[in-house]
Amino acid sequence: MNIEATELDKAVLLKVSGRMDAEHAPEFERACQTWISQGRKHLIADLADLQYVSSMGLRSFLSVAQKLQAASGALILCGLHGLPRQVFEMTRLIGVFQVFETTEQALATL
Amino acid sequence: MKTLTLPATAGSIPPLSEFVREGAVAAGIATDELGKLDLILEEVLMNVARYAYTEGSGEVEVRYMAEKGRLRVEIIDSGIVFNPLEADSPDLSRGLVDRPIGGLGVFLIKNMVETVHYRRENDQNVLTFTFP
Repeated sequence: MNIEATELDKAVLLKVSGRMDAEHAPEFERACQTWISQGRKHLIADLADLQYVSSMGLRSFLSVAQKLQAASGALILCGLHGLPRQVFEMTRLIGVFQVFETTEQALATL
Repeated sequence: MKTLTLPATAGSIPPLSEFVREGAVAAGIATDELGKLDLILEEVLMNVARYAYTEGSGEVEVRYMAEKGRLRVEIIDSGIVFNPLEADSPDLSRGLVDRPIGGLGVFLIKNMVETVHYRRENDQNVLTFTFP
């Protein structure tokens, strides 16, 4: 898994690629925590290049989103497709998160 | 039937997945289905790594039989009696604030396989599933 962060005015954009599995999910959580600790309240995860997510990955997404919600912020997801999208739909998490097709659409809501 | 036995740790998931993928290819399962197979294996093997050997460590054995267009997989450990299929179904209707962060692994297994069964045999936990 690779995480590329871009700091924008209204949010931090995290481009996540590869596999979010048991081994790599904690890396995503740590990366998000770093930004949360710096006071950033809106994180946008661009998942267009995410190939795989397991329950450990879902756990990380939920944990980060709950922390941000408690701080009046949000974790916004973009570009979900393929197997990761199926997993989010199957677990009905697609309705729990703010999900957009593109990062531009996500940024327009902030 | 082919067999591979490795330590029951999270680190064994990639080589065990690779092993079972060979079976999927032999069975003629479409390559775009292999991500789902990885997911099922990760969920089952993480349960074994976390719960089977509460005291000390142990091994997990993965067996597969490739049939035409279908794979039959068995995952065997010698840990404590543990049937993951008995876990309560997660409440999927909850919103973000009170949505529990765990409990989705077994749910995913049940929803991605054709059949899944658990049995206790010779002091071992045996989980069997067929895919797709």
